[in-house]
Amino acid sequence: MTDPFVRRLAALPSADKALLSVFAAVALLALLLGLAFGLATGLARGGFFPGLDDEAGYRLMTLHGVGAFFYWLSFAQIFLLLALTAGYVDGESRIAARPAAWLGAGTAILGFVLSEVGAGFGPPLLYDAPPELAMDPSPAVAAVHAGYLLLAVGLFLAAWAAIATALRSKREGGGEWPTVAFAAVAWAGLLMVSAVAAFTAFLPALLWSLGLAGPPADYSTGWHLLFHNMHYLPLLATVVVWYALVRHLTGVGSAFGATFSKVAFAAYLIFVPPTSLYHMFLEPDLPGAVRTAGSLLSLFIGVPTVLVFLVLVSSLELNARQAGAHGLFGWIGRLPWRHPAMAAIGAAVVNLALGGAFSFVLIQEKLAPLLSDTFMIPGYFHFLTLGTVTLTFLAGFVVALPALTGRDLSAPTWLARLPWLTTFGLAIFGAAGIAASYLGAPRRTLSVAYDGLAPPAWSALMAGVGTGAAIMGAAMIAYVAIVAASLLRRARAGADVPVVDWSGSGAVTAGRAGESSGVYQDALLTERAWVGPLAVLVLLAAMYAFTALTFNLLRALPVVAIGGGGH
Amino acid sequence: MTLDVRLIGLVALVWAVMAVLYATVTMLAHMPGSAMLWGSGAGIFALLAGAVWRAGESPRAK
Repeated sequence: MTDPFVRRLAALPSADKALLSVFAAVALLALLLGLAFGLATGLARGGFFPGLDDEAGYRLMTLHGVGAFFYWLSFAQIFLLLALTAGYVDGESRIAARPAAWLGAGTAILGFVLSEVGAGFGPPLLYDAPPELAMDPSPAVAAVHAGYLLLAVGLFLAAWAAIATALRSKREGGGEWPTVAFAAVAWAGLLMVSAVAAFTAFLPALLWSLGLAGPPADYSTGWHLLFHNMHYLPLLATVVVWYALVRHLTGVGSAFGATFSKVAFAAYLIFVPPTSLYHMFLEPDLPGAVRTAGSLLSLFIGVPTVLVFLVLVSSLELNARQAGAHGLFGWIGRLPWRHPAMAAIGAAVVNLALGGAFSFVLIQEKLAPLLSDTFMIPGYFHFLTLGTVTLTFLAGFVVALPALTGRDLSAPTWLARLPWLTTFGLAIFGAAGIAASYLGAPRRTLSVAYDGLAPPAWSALMAGVGTGAAIMGAAMIAYVAIVAASLLRRARAGADVPVVDWSGSGAVTAGRAGESSGVYQDALLTERAWVGPLAVLVLLAAMYAFTALTFNLLRALPVVAIGGGGH
Repeated sequence: MTLDVRLIGLVALVWAVMAVLYATVTMLAHMPGSAMLWGSGAGIFALLAGAVWRAGESPRAK
């Protein structure tokens, strides 16, 4: 089975391949730097660097956030967005508006250099770079803000190139886009909005850091508006990549048809603005009606992800049953788990369930003020940023890069194991961190000993955080090193990486890229798929259990939260 | 009008409504800048919906 996506990528003109390779290479470099600084930060938090001074520790934390959160996620998104758009639209296989994409690459790479230099040699600002932390304007602070703005320009231009590619296909062929192409356009639109949000947040800060204006009046709000979009962007990207790779790995398209899938992807964008209310929960004078509305609306934040998850899991289960799978979970074992992308996606689903359950605990208005400044935040969000999004993006890389470069992956067996080792380290990191948060351990504080006045459990749990960080950091660095080494070696055939083909079982025939024909759907109607709905029920039960646990634990603490004007 | 156009147009509409709400409802004034951002997004998605519709109407597409 040769997936049309892979065929189209392989058929791209060399100039397009060069463009995509540049984005991929810079993305991997940003990830490698982010991982290395993150590993060091985790060890520092775990108490394994006793002589490290505070400024050096906060610099490590800043460089970790700048590299991993801003630049890895951005460059990876540009790479995958352009690859999926070019690989899933009809017509000629090439990227439209290539000069705009190259200009975007140039500005974003310049931004990367400026931000890294500013964060490395200026005051340690943390990744959100608030002017009040810098205290005084300086060229180094300006470099960080200018870097973010250049990245925003790059994102906007690259997103435009993706949209132009899809529009050219529509102009030439008419009709509806394939689902992945539609989802990619929605994703590109949200990238453009996020670029606008970045200007709102960082332009006043840049003018201040250059000494051209006073301190920004609403930096925190601007940052949180940008951050709200940046929550959503990688999650939307994650499910788009899942949708595309399921087809590549199993030959299975949506059993629910293109219309339902497109509605699910459009729902991401529809829920972005209404769910932003919860960022105001720390405002002490926020009216009760807004708190209630915000709590209710925040519950919708996971709906599109759950919808796409259901579409994919149910489609896989239905097709596997058509192909002869038996038992409630028997079909899961038939998935191509030895393929690095399948392993990465499987681990990502597990991590999404864990991160998702805790995120719903955090965005409740009674709990948000108590937990927002504790280690709960890094404890849960690494399940999402690293365990879900990064592993998914890397799954996209290990499928797309061999098609683009003609070089097969080195050590695919190791690439299939490392996501699970990462998840193991992440589980230690998250469990220790969240447990520490329930005991009040703060985030963004390198040493939690407080001269012996802090609860002894804090230091012990932080050692668990450091241990987990060491395992997941080392596993991820090894993963990136293997992928990079695969691309740098001379072209040759590598080990065979297995996929399965459930698209041709019985009466089932796959339709247009990622979609199903009428015959296909009729055949699937004779089957039943229970694992997807069961998984959602388990998720809801976990959310309830973690919320109840959190309430009970926090009620026992002698603290009162009144908010502090943040978000 | 294709489903692609209708869905992107719906996104633009929802974002425009949210921009108006953030601009006019006093209780939501804790997030200054929201109305401009959601309004900008509404504009981007409206332009996108228009571009998709126009591309689908081009002579070669028919």
